[in-house]
Amino acid sequence: MSNSHMFLPSGFIRTPLQNGLGRYIPQLQRITLKFCKNHGGSRGVRDFIESDLMEFAKTNPGTVVYLKPRRHRSPCMVAEYLNGEREYLSCHEFSRDEVHKWLSYMCTRSGIPVMRFRKYQHTDYPTVQGVWNPFTHQAPEINIAEFPHEVLSRPLDHGPTATEQLIEIFKKTQIEDPANKPPN
Amino acid sequence: MAALWKTCQQCLRYGFSNVSIYTSITAVNVISKRNFKAHWVAPTLRELKRRKVIEDDRNGGPKIFHRSTFLEWNYDAEIFAFSNRLGEKFNDLSLRAALTHKSYIERETARLSDIGVESNLQFQDNEALSQKGGELLSKFINGYLRAVFTQVPEELIRAMHDFLTSNPTLETVARHIGLGDLMLCADFPCKTETYVKSFKAIVAALAESSGEERARIFVQDLVVTQLYGQDVNELWNPVDPVGNLTAILKREGKAEPEFRLIRQAGSNSILGVYYVGLYSDKNFISEGAGESLEVAKEMAAREALKKFFRTEDSMRALPFGRQLKNIQSKIAQLENQPNIPLSEWISEKVMSAVH
Repeated sequence: MSNSHMFLPSGFIRTPLQNGLGRYIPQLQRITLKFCKNHGGSRGVRDFIESDLMEFAKTNPGTVVYLKPRRHRSPCMVAEYLNGEREYLSCHEFSRDEVHKWLSYMCTRSGIPVMRFRKYQHTDYPTVQGVWNPFTHQAPEINIAEFPHEVLSRPLDHGPTATEQLIEIFKKTQIEDPANKPPN
Repeated sequence: MAALWKTCQQCLRYGFSNVSIYTSITAVNVISKRNFKAHWVAPTLRELKRRKVIEDDRNGGPKIFHRSTFLEWNYDAEIFAFSNRLGEKFNDLSLRAALTHKSYIERETARLSDIGVESNLQFQDNEALSQKGGELLSKFINGYLRAVFTQVPEELIRAMHDFLTSNPTLETVARHIGLGDLMLCADFPCKTETYVKSFKAIVAALAESSGEERARIFVQDLVVTQLYGQDVNELWNPVDPVGNLTAILKREGKAEPEFRLIRQAGSNSILGVYYVGLYSDKNFISEGAGESLEVAKEMAAREALKKFFRTEDSMRALPFGRQLKNIQSKIAQLENQPNIPLSEWISEKVMSAVH
């Protein structure tokens, strides 16, 4: 999938301050819910506040919830994260469930801006055995070898020749002779 | 006109305080709305933005406001959320003292005396707490490093400790747990030293409130994890690796190190590479590569030291979080026991120290 027609920035998955490595710190610092007490567009937000907000606040004690009733304004929520980023979302004519779902979406994000993940994993230690270089797995004997060399000049995947295979088979038959078997 | 004023107000309101270029996230509505703006809206906003940019440049940056100047701000709630976010219990007084700076108290008393009100402020500042916190921080970090890097000389432990307790590292940690909005200080935007002081005071406050054990785990979870992804050998390297290696081998009673050229390529070109192997009494210890023979020799000696200290690239991953449960007592024990310095380092001594 090419990136050329996308405006989303792309990057590797990351987390602020190695979150989760030691302990998990919920990254949502505070959330501000702005709504109108009268207007119909805020009905979902008002219903959410009356019914589900307390439970949300209890399950997320690390997030401060601010409520801003403002007349003649359409409802919105602004989420602020620990790394200083802000997220604005208009909740105009949302239902109560939609508000709840978007709120829990804000909860699970870190403040890192939405981006296309190039890969779903990231490591700071890409290699443990060391990156291959042309000297890896080269026998040190090549340093003082005179070429053409009996062993080193052969192709790597040569395999035993027909003569050598016959000799091997003959040796095997020799061992199977009961007179030559070592006493068990 | 009213619509334009409302749009401008909204723009301006979110114009200050750290708005990133990724401000808006619009809900994915199932029924998409069509926004028809009048023909004069875009040019007007463009002109306003142009003027704002000029003003900001003239004033040296956009205007920033502290979060507490907003209407929606409740300091008590913020402090409650802070302690819950970290999963720790703080004494209220200790926590508030840890977040209060001397500069703030001075500013407030001066302000009140200017007005003429007698200042009976019972604020406690965080000087003492930050001092104690700094000592605790060093102690916990040293304990962890010595328990995890058992074979390493004390100089490297010190270098890692200095990295972890440096101002940039601690400031990053302090910012990302939300101290920026909670600190009561006279300087805004807050200086690095203020952040670092507050963080150290928080560590001391936690030790006071929940005990040293919890404070140790807190430091391990937040500060020591900053070591992840750092190449430990970038932080410190012995000045004379060949000399140090010779001394170590002599102390261990092994033969002197012998350097042999293992591989070379392109010696007539700029991109020449030499691999030098290090042998002691015909036993292979390590090899190093470099663009010249001297460099390769030094790299080989460095690799040998890395092998002795168990800090090669292929060393074991550092334990964090729950993986430290079994070695907490060992960490506590080694807090006051420095490792062997480089001048006395011998494998036997280090082997005996490994539990």
